[in-house]
Amino acid sequence: MDRTTSVLLPAAPPAPSPVRVLVADDEDDIRALVCLAVAKAGATVAAAVADGTAALAGARAGLPELAVLDVSMPGATGLEVCAALRADPATAGIRILLLSAGASSDDVARGLAAGADAYLAKPFGVSALVRQIQALATRQPA
Amino acid sequence: MTAVDPRTARVPRPRTGRPDSRDAELERLRAENAVLLAQVQSRADELDVATRMLAARAQTMTSVIDAVTEQSIIGTDRDGVIRVWNPGAEKMLGVRRPEVVRQRSIVDFHLPEELEAEAETCGSAPGVAALVHAAQQQGSDVRDWTYVAADGSHRTVSVAITPRTDDDGAHAGWNFVGTDMTEARATERMKDQFVSLISHELRTPLTSILGYLELVLEDDQPLTDEQRAYLSTVERNADRLLRLVGDLLFTAQVDAGRFSLHPLDVDLAGVVRAAEETARVTAATAGVEVVVEVPEDGLVVPGDAVRLGQACDNLVSNAVKFTPAGGRVTLSLRSAWSMPDGTTSDAPRPGAVPVAQLAVSDTGIGIPTGEQGKMFTRFFRASTARRNAVPGVGLGLAITKAITTAHGGTLDVVSAEGEGTTFTLTLPLPTA
Repeated sequence: MDRTTSVLLPAAPPAPSPVRVLVADDEDDIRALVCLAVAKAGATVAAAVADGTAALAGARAGLPELAVLDVSMPGATGLEVCAALRADPATAGIRILLLSAGASSDDVARGLAAGADAYLAKPFGVSALVRQIQALATRQPA
Repeated sequence: MTAVDPRTARVPRPRTGRPDSRDAELERLRAENAVLLAQVQSRADELDVATRMLAARAQTMTSVIDAVTEQSIIGTDRDGVIRVWNPGAEKMLGVRRPEVVRQRSIVDFHLPEELEAEAETCGSAPGVAALVHAAQQQGSDVRDWTYVAADGSHRTVSVAITPRTDDDGAHAGWNFVGTDMTEARATERMKDQFVSLISHELRTPLTSILGYLELVLEDDQPLTDEQRAYLSTVERNADRLLRLVGDLLFTAQVDAGRFSLHPLDVDLAGVVRAAEETARVTAATAGVEVVVEVPEDGLVVPGDAVRLGQACDNLVSNAVKFTPAGGRVTLSLRSAWSMPDGTTSDAPRPGAVPVAQLAVSDTGIGIPTGEQGKMFTRFFRASTARRNAVPGVGLGLAITKAITTAHGGTLDVVSAEGEGTTFTLTLPLPTA
């Protein structure tokens, strides 16, 4: 190697820190299942909460990159949380995946209209959830 | 008085110029008078008959309207002032006829906010104009309105509004015929709530069951063959439960008229091949051969791919289920021409429209002739199905029929007990 033409190489990019995910579902078993899927997707759980109000507070406090929200939750529904996050410039960039037991196309349309990036109908396959989390984790914020 | 027929009687001509003519003149005048009297009497009789007929007709109308006690019949003039108020209206709104006729407006019994909202939507003046706007545009209008009764309670009423004309055919006002739907709508809402509750309450535990099963089955720790077989049975049954929940929900949506299609161009040949693929394992296990005959270059229909897939899956899985080992199921798709009388031909003919036709034929146990009319009724199960312990709840065909109808198509069945069944699904193709 020619020593005289040494150049300043850019520092190697630091290993990307895992994407932090807020998980909100009032069903304990499903919340745990989603947390497992988050780990399988190579992301970390920033917070796992059981109602809409806690989800909104958690998102505002922790500013995760991704929120996985159940549509039907006490406090505030996933749709309401979704709309509130989108309305606030501080949280508008959080990517949102909605989970819902309503599987009709109207439900999907309502979810996407509320500002969700993706929608997964219950029951979802764990592998489908993992793929969805990975896809959203790598997507650049809007 | 002497009866004189006014139709034939003639008034005698005056005779003049003779000295004894005075008596004759008197006689002539008497006769003339009699004829005129008879004519007056006759007119009076005719008038009397006509009056009686009119009164009888009015009485018939009134008695019919008065006999209606479960529907409100309200007639107004053009300004909405009430002219007709039947016992049904009295019962529904708690106000007696003498208190409203010519004194109150139809608007007094409507929810003001609703009329204001309607005025805003249709861009009409508020009040009666908003109420009758659609009927004015289309000749008639039927929709739910909220009536406010005398005690302030609200009733949800399906009101048919039509224009009223007078004897000369000129617009005289409006008719409002209402059916109280308050309880019916409340029941519908409860049913909707029940359906969404069931949806949530059943899908949620199923999510856990299927999710954790998937984790166990795909875990790095190997399972014994026995464990894997047991868990696969759990998974298969959870899937079956999930399909049942889906079918029940879909049936409820069809009932509520809340089932919408998302039509695109769908290759029906692909849908048929996918249905065969779905049924392949079950068919092989049951020893049933499945033959697919579809046009190689496909057959595109306008439709909802998911729903058409569901319809096709139902027909194929039924055919496999009802066919004993060694039998055969044939899925045959072709384009054809449908005649107005319902027959089809391979070549275009005058008056024929292009259709796509899928025939699903099996060599199965068949459906008794007497039961074929009930085939598409929810929860109906053929006696042959029950006798042969074929599993199912009787929703698949009802759903398939609803999907076909929503696509403007038809679903027909030909079956002979012990020989087999053919279901033919016909869907319209766009005319070139």
